[in-house]
Amino acid sequence: MEKEQYDFIGQPLEIKNIGKVTGKELYSSDINIPGQLYAVILRSPHAHAEIKKVDYSEAVKVGAVCIGPQDVPEIIYNERIVSIPEKTYRDRTVLPKEKVRHKGEALVACAAETEEKAWAALQKIKIEWGKQWKPLLTLEKALSDDAPPIYDWVYLGEEKLKVKNNIACERNIEVGDVEEGFREADIVIEKTFHTQRVYHMQFETKSAVCVPEADGGITVWTTSQGIHNVRILLGNIFNLPLSKINIKRITLGGSFGSSIQMNSITPICVALALKAKKPVKLVSSREDDFYDHAKYPLKTILKVGVKKDGTFTAAHCRVWVEIGGHNIQAYPYLGCVAGWFASLYKWKNIKYEGTAVYTNKVPTCAMQGYGNPQINFAVESMIDILAEELKMDPINLRLKNYVGKGDEFWGQGPTVRSIIRSCGVEEMLLEGAKLAQWEKRVPHYQKKEVIRKGMGVARGFHTSGTGGPNPGEVIDYSGATIKINEDGSVDVLTALMDLGGGTWDALAKIVAEVLKVPFEKIGIYNGIDTRSTVFDVNTHATRGVYCGGGAVKFVAEKVKEILLNYAATLFKDLPENLVLSCNKELGQAIIYPREIPENYKTIGEIAEYAHTTSWGTLAYTSTLRQKNCPPCFITHFVEVEVNTRTGEVKIPRVVIMGDSGTIINPNLWEGQIIGAFSRGLGFGLLEETDYHPEDGSLRCKGLVTDYKIPTTLEMPKIEDIIVRSAHTYEPTGPFGAKGIGEAALSSVGPAIANAIYNAIGIRFYELPITPEKILKSLQEKEENLRKRRGE
Amino acid sequence: MEEYKIEMKINGERLVATTQADESLLKFLRRNGFFEVKCGCEKGECGTCTVILQGKAVKSCITLALQANNKEVWTIRGMEKFELGRKLQESFVQYGAIQCGFCTPGMILVAKAYLDKNPIPDRKEIKREIAGNLCRCTGYKKIIDAIYAVAEENKKMN
Ligand code: FES
Ligand code: FES
Repeated sequence: MEKEQYDFIGQPLEIKNIGKVTGKELYSSDINIPGQLYAVILRSPHAHAEIKKVDYSEAVKVGAVCIGPQDVPEIIYNERIVSIPEKTYRDRTVLPKEKVRHKGEALVACAAETEEKAWAALQKIKIEWGKQWKPLLTLEKALSDDAPPIYDWVYLGEEKLKVKNNIACERNIEVGDVEEGFREADIVIEKTFHTQRVYHMQFETKSAVCVPEADGGITVWTTSQGIHNVRILLGNIFNLPLSKINIKRITLGGSFGSSIQMNSITPICVALALKAKKPVKLVSSREDDFYDHAKYPLKTILKVGVKKDGTFTAAHCRVWVEIGGHNIQAYPYLGCVAGWFASLYKWKNIKYEGTAVYTNKVPTCAMQGYGNPQINFAVESMIDILAEELKMDPINLRLKNYVGKGDEFWGQGPTVRSIIRSCGVEEMLLEGAKLAQWEKRVPHYQKKEVIRKGMGVARGFHTSGTGGPNPGEVIDYSGATIKINEDGSVDVLTALMDLGGGTWDALAKIVAEVLKVPFEKIGIYNGIDTRSTVFDVNTHATRGVYCGGGAVKFVAEKVKEILLNYAATLFKDLPENLVLSCNKELGQAIIYPREIPENYKTIGEIAEYAHTTSWGTLAYTSTLRQKNCPPCFITHFVEVEVNTRTGEVKIPRVVIMGDSGTIINPNLWEGQIIGAFSRGLGFGLLEETDYHPEDGSLRCKGLVTDYKIPTTLEMPKIEDIIVRSAHTYEPTGPFGAKGIGEAALSSVGPAIANAIYNAIGIRFYELPITPEKILKSLQEKEENLRKRRGE
Repeated sequence: MEEYKIEMKINGERLVATTQADESLLKFLRRNGFFEVKCGCEKGECGTCTVILQGKAVKSCITLALQANNKEVWTIRGMEKFELGRKLQESFVQYGAIQCGFCTPGMILVAKAYLDKNPIPDRKEIKREIAGNLCRCTGYKKIIDAIYAVAEENKKMN
C-alpha cells in the first residue's frame, strides 16, 4: 500500500512529557489525602513455613490498624486476569492463610498516622510458626520425589485440582511428526539453555492509595498497567459492586510487565482502608519490591534437525520454568513460549513440552517479552551453532527459514494465530549487515589478542496485541469515548495506560489525524478513571498502539461521521460532499464543501453552533477488538570486546533494525529500542536475582548496586548506537502501525552471546555471561588444548 | 526524638520547618510538599532523589535535612527560574529523553549542576558525569543527547 501524507502521524510532537520535566507529573506515591494513614508490611522471615498464629494486639494498643491472614477475604484468585477464567489458575489470597511460600511474602500490614508509628507498631507483632521446611529453590529440588508440597491443591477456573510434584501447570503441543522429521535430517543437534531470574527494577516501587467513600465504595490510585482489571479483581475479592469502585489512571514510574497483574500491595492497602475506615497510603520500599516480583526464568532443551542445504526438518523443544511461590499466569506463559518458538522459523515438525514448577522464591511474572527473550536466547544461539555446523553464513540460514509474510504467526500461544501481512525481516538482516560491516567479521580462531573483538547477530519479534480472527484464551479489546468540545478541542477518554513508551502521544496523534484537529488540542493525559471509561484490557503484549490505537481510530471515525452529518445540515449539502482538513495557520480543523474551500467553517464554529442551538455534543463511545496480531520484528547486530585477562565484555557498537510498520512517535520509538537494548544488556551480561541456598533470601538484600543494572558506562559509545527502521506498512494497523515495545528486547541476549562466541570461540548456554564465567571457560579451553597437545 | 527548627531557601523561597536528627532531606522535602523529589531506593544508589544543594547535585536520601539548614536547595520545580534549567527541560522533551519520567528530575538537576561548572562538555564527559543516576527505561542515549544539545548551544554562544 502507498504511504499517505500525514499531518500528525510520524511527527516529533510530544506533549505528555511536559509534566515530567517540570516536576508536575503525579505518580501513585505522590497522592495524598487529608487524614490518611501510612501503611507498612511485615514480610515473612521464612521461605516455607506454617503460620500458626498471628497476634497483632500489642500493635493495636499503640494505635495501629492491622490486618493479618485472619482478616482478609477467603477468595482465592489470580492477580492477572488477562486470560479467560476457564484457563486461569488460582492459588492466592490477599495475605497467605495457612503458610508462607517464599521469604519476603507479605504477611501482616499495619497503618498508623505516620510511617514511623506504623513501623514501631509492626515491631510488636507476634507470630507463632508451625512446621518449617527447607526452601525448594531449584527446579530439580522442587520436582524431586521427597520434596514437600508447596501447594496441596489449586483452582483452574472453578475446578479444584490436586498439585502433583509441585507442578503448577503443563502445556504440550505437537504439529506434524518430529520423529519423522529428525529421520529426514542430515544433522541433528540438541543443546540445553538457561536464562535467569531478573528483577524488573522499575523506578517507582509498587504503591497504592485507597480512600473509603461515603457510599461504602472505594477510590484507588495504584501502580497498574490496566485499571479495569484491578477494579474487577477488587470487586470480586471485597464483594463490592464495580459501580462503587473507582480506580484512577495515574502515570507509572516504569513497570516492564510487573503491573499487568494487580500488584500484591493493592488489595492489602484496600483491606486496611476498609478496616480503618480512613484513607490509607502504602508505598513499598525497594527491598519489599525486590521480594514482590521477578522475570520468569527458563530452562530449554532444544533439539533441531536440519538438511545439508539448511532446510529445517524438525524441532523438539522442552522447557521448564520455576515460577516461585505463586502462579501469576504461568499457563499462558508456557503457551506464549510455544508460540514464540513456533513462529521464529519454519521448523516443519514441532513438538513442545512445557512445565511450570512451584519453588519457594519470589513469584515470577511477565517482564518485557513474556518468555520471548528466554526462548529467543535458545533458538538464536542454536541457529548460529547450526550455521557453523553447516558452514553457512548465519544470516543466510536465518533468511532461508524465517517465518514471514503469508505465514502463520502465533501471537499469544497456540490459540491466538493470524497471518503475517507485513514483514521487514529480509530488509533488516541485509541492511543491518551492511551498516554493521558484517562482511569484515573474522572467525574466532584467527584472534589472538588480549582484547578480542567479535560480532554477533540475532533476530526476534513480538506480537502486537493478542487478537486473532477468533478470540482465543486471552481477552483483548480496548475502547474510548471521544467528544468534540464546545470550542472544537477534543477529549479522548480511554483507560489504556502509557508505560512511558509514548502510547498516549500516539493515540492523540491518531485522533488528530482522523479529525484533523491539531495535536495540542487533544486532551488525553489526565482525569481518567474506571468510572469515566469503557473497558481496556491492559497495556501489555505490545498492544498499546496497535490495539488501543486501533480502538481510538475506530471511535474517532464514528465521531467524524457524526460531525460531517451535522455539518451537512449547516452547509445544506450532503456529508459526502464535505471535506475535513487541517488548517495549520488557523490552528483548527475546517470543513468545506468540495471545491469551495473559501466557504469553510472551523470545527470550533460548528461545535459551538451545536452547543448554542442545544443540538448536543458531537461524541461517540465504543470498544474494538483487533482481529490480528501482527508481529513487529527486530534485528540486533552487536559488536563486543572481550578482555581475556579480566573476562570483561564491552559493547562498543550496536546496530538495531526495527519493523513497526508506520512509526507514529519516531523519537520515542527509537528511545524504546535503545532502552530495551540496555535492559537486554543487563539480561545478557549482568543481572540475576541470586538466592541464599539455606534461607531463600535474596543475596542482593534489596540493594540496587548489589543487584547491578546497566549505568551509562555499560552502554556503547553514544554515537555508535545505530537504530534504523524497515520500510513496511501493516494493513490491519492504525495508519499502518504495529508495536515495538517487547520486540526490542527479544534478541539482545543471543546477539551478545553470538558475538562473544565470534570473539573467543566459546559458546555460553547460560545467561548472564559474567566475567567469572568467561574466565572460567577460557581456562578450561586452555587446559583442554594443553591436554590435547599432550602437555 | 528531639525536634529541630531549620530554615532553608527552596527554589528561591524561604521555608521554616521542624525536623529530627535522623530525617533525610528527601523525607523532609516530601513531608513539606515537594513531591517532585522522587524516591527510587532511599539508599543513595539510584539518583532519582537528586536535588541541588549549594550549587552541588546531591542525593537527598543520604543527606540529612539538618545538613541543609541555612542553605539553598533547588528541586526540578525551581528550574524554570534559570535559563539553563529551561533549556534542559525543553531539550529533554525535544530529544525524547523521557519515558516513565521517574528519573527525569534527578537527571535534569545533575545536568544543570554539571553544566554550570563545565558548560561545554563532550558526550563522553556527560556520560561519565551522570553515571551515578540510573535510568531503567531509556538506555541513556537520548538523555546524553539532550544534555549535549544544550552544551552545543552553549558553545555557539561563547
Ligand atoms: S532515592 Fe536517593 S539515591 Fe535512590
Ligand atoms: S525514564 Fe523511566 S527510569 Fe528513566
